[in-house]
Amino acid sequence: MMACENAQRDSFVLLQLAERRFALPAEGVAELAPPVRLHTFPHTSSLLSGVIVRRGRILPVYDAARALSGKSSLAHRFYLVARRRFGETSEMSAIPVDGECELVTGEARPRSEAAPPYICGEIAVGDESVGILDIEAFVRMHENTGAKSLSEPRA
Amino acid sequence: MKIAAQEAPRLRHFRGAEPAILFTVSRQLFAIAADAVQEIRSTDSIAGASSEFDCPEVPKVRHTFERARRQYYVVNACAHFGLRVARPALVLILRQLRVAVLVDRIERMTELPSIYDLPLGFSGEERRWYRGLTHIEDHVIPVVDPRGFLTPEEFRQIEGVPVPLASPQELEGAASK
Repeated sequence: MMACENAQRDSFVLLQLAERRFALPAEGVAELAPPVRLHTFPHTSSLLSGVIVRRGRILPVYDAARALSGKSSLAHRFYLVARRRFGETSEMSAIPVDGECELVTGEARPRSEAAPPYICGEIAVGDESVGILDIEAFVRMHENTGAKSLSEPRA
Repeated sequence: MKIAAQEAPRLRHFRGAEPAILFTVSRQLFAIAADAVQEIRSTDSIAGASSEFDCPEVPKVRHTFERARRQYYVVNACAHFGLRVARPALVLILRQLRVAVLVDRIERMTELPSIYDLPLGFSGEERRWYRGLTHIEDHVIPVVDPRGFLTPEEFRQIEGVPVPLASPQELEGAASK
């Protein structure tokens, strides 16, 4: 998952989260994985809904749509697998997405002042302006504000 | 970006097969290293030797018992993991720690083929609860860290509470109190 400094690159993956479209710089995206079993266990990390097993790795699943809309919709999902940085290291992480993702090219523009802090820029897609998602800012924001309520595993 | 076919998981952090006990708490499956457990008893069997215990700072400990001249603190695993209250039937008496853990049932003994590090995205108390995750028969199971049931700080808090000399209480159903 890319930080905002990389947003000027011109390839982006468009994804749908909670009925909104966002763009992610393509270089941080590994693949769009098919729906696989979500494994849950008790924890207190507010954005995480569990883990999936993908290519021999256990990947944390960030339910970004739930953070945006308050509704969890973990069924019928593809998983966008992207890299998230932790200082000097990084790990692959999964975000459940609605439907298909799209690869587009475009020039990143500065974010509008009204955009939420996790939007670090915009790209034009047809007549639409799509916000570039800064996953690190998004996670930080929701880790700080999210209730620690995920201890109860969900089916 | 691509949509790729699902692959069989492969081992990434092989540390040698480790004997483990799989147990459930509130229908959630956990693993613990077999050599971390000294004994498994029914709650009934130690009820007579237990004393009720009250430390508001550590509400997951409601009972204590003495064994080989050592005071053991009984941690309710439902409360520890924030799970729905269940009716514990068994007590795992841990080795080298003065901790016993109330659990629902033992699923089976097994060998953990590998333990994966807990992903860094997990940043809360679970980093203390778990040694990592294991993948057995298409289940990802957290491997508990026995030291995580009571932190040194929690030990300090409960050690400051006087223990009743003799007031045996039923351990069974302790979770519902």
